[in-house]
Amino acid sequence: MHELAIAQSIVDVVETRATECNAARVKSVRLQIGEASGVVADSLSFCFEMLTSFDPVLAGAQLSIDVMPHRARCRHCATEFAITDFVARCPTCDEWTNEILSGTELQILDMEFDAS
Amino acid sequence: MPPSRYPVWVSVLSILGARFTSFAPPLLRSGVVAKVSIAQHILAANEVVAEEIRQMLTQRGIRTINVMSSPGAGKTTLLEKTIERLQGKLGIGVIDGDIETTADADRIEAAGAADAIQINTRGACHLEAHMVRAALSEIDLSHVGLLFIENIGNLVCPSSWDLGEDTRVVVVSTSEGDDKPAKYPHMFATSQVMIVNKLDLLPYVDYDLEKVKEHALTINPHLRIFEVSCRTGAGLDAWCEWLMAFARGNAEVARKIVQEV
Ligand SMILES: Nc1nc2c(ncn2[C@@H]2O[C@H](COP(=O)(O)OP(=O)(O)OP(=O)(O)O)[C@@H](O)[C@H]2O)c(=O)[nH]1
Ligand SMILES: [Mg+2]
Ligand SMILES: [Zn+2]
Repeated sequence: MHELAIAQSIVDVVETRATECNAARVKSVRLQIGEASGVVADSLSFCFEMLTSFDPVLAGAQLSIDVMPHRARCRHCATEFAITDFVARCPTCDEWTNEILSGTELQILDMEFDAS
Repeated sequence: MPPSRYPVWVSVLSILGARFTSFAPPLLRSGVVAKVSIAQHILAANEVVAEEIRQMLTQRGIRTINVMSSPGAGKTTLLEKTIERLQGKLGIGVIDGDIETTADADRIEAAGAADAIQINTRGACHLEAHMVRAALSEIDLSHVGLLFIENIGNLVCPSSWDLGEDTRVVVVSTSEGDDKPAKYPHMFATSQVMIVNKLDLLPYVDYDLEKVKEHALTINPHLRIFEVSCRTGAGLDAWCEWLMAFARGNAEVARKIVQEV
């Protein structure tokens, strides 16, 4: 259950930012989570809610997660394609060498808060 | 990715339509909803420490390997056999992650490691960079050229935490079923080496070795594969040869090998 540790990292970052901004209450936090990042979005939301439920500034904050598709561009023929189950073979030319375009993100984008 | 790499731009949009291009919290009235950019990797704090560890170890002439597997696949046994085989060639240090007990570090020390230290995570299912940093302050690295970090037995969680290693090795064994790459692709996608251990048990288990290798390679075509038995010693020479070549990848470590031969 590393989602708990990931959620704790998010809470740490958001708390620091909330203090810097004199936030009275954080309303929402927006994340980008790659499909291939090894993190399950639902578990993450659950853990985030659990960790923040008694925090005066973070309680009730909504976690909004943009799940980023796992995609690549073939280095041989430049086809862009979706990667399913981590198998990154070009559907056009069957080659394996490619550049990952998205899907590995673990990013905190921004947050909304009530100013105090 | 250290947070400082990102520009700390702040754009505060209030419902009043006011815009600020820098911090101006005192100007905000209560009841105003503001939006602030964070633009930071979730595990940035870990990555900063991991990078610090990587630089420190590289400068000290130490190559580092993060060893991961499900519980009981044979990480500690593999390290014991490796230490025995490389005795006199290259000093080996081990940081042993375990939820409880110091049993693994004791085994490693008995096998002849230059130094070994145990990290007890007290329940945590993976090692994080700050735990490794704390262990590094206690371990004696003066005779170490190759440092192994034995992660917690778990094929899911450890793969998300950079520990400052130079390479990642995942160990699977023939007694745990041949569906591991399919079920835990992130682990295999982020490792550079896969070791299939317990080859001696192949006659007794339903384990399709070719399927495992093929599946692992579809997830990660660059994966380097070794088939070994820590029980019989099969395949361990090839693994140890690769390790020595890997160690020589750092000129400072290569110097240590020559000196000690
Ligand atoms: N038959 C056989 N047994 C092995 C082999 N390698 C390891 N074992 C046995 O497998 C069991 C687990 O090995 P460990 O080395 O403790 O495994 P580990 O991955 O370090 O386990 P944790 O640290 O608990 O996750 C022990 O009883 C070993 O003796 C092998 O090649 N063949
Ligand atoms: Mg062990
Ligand atoms: Zn192609």
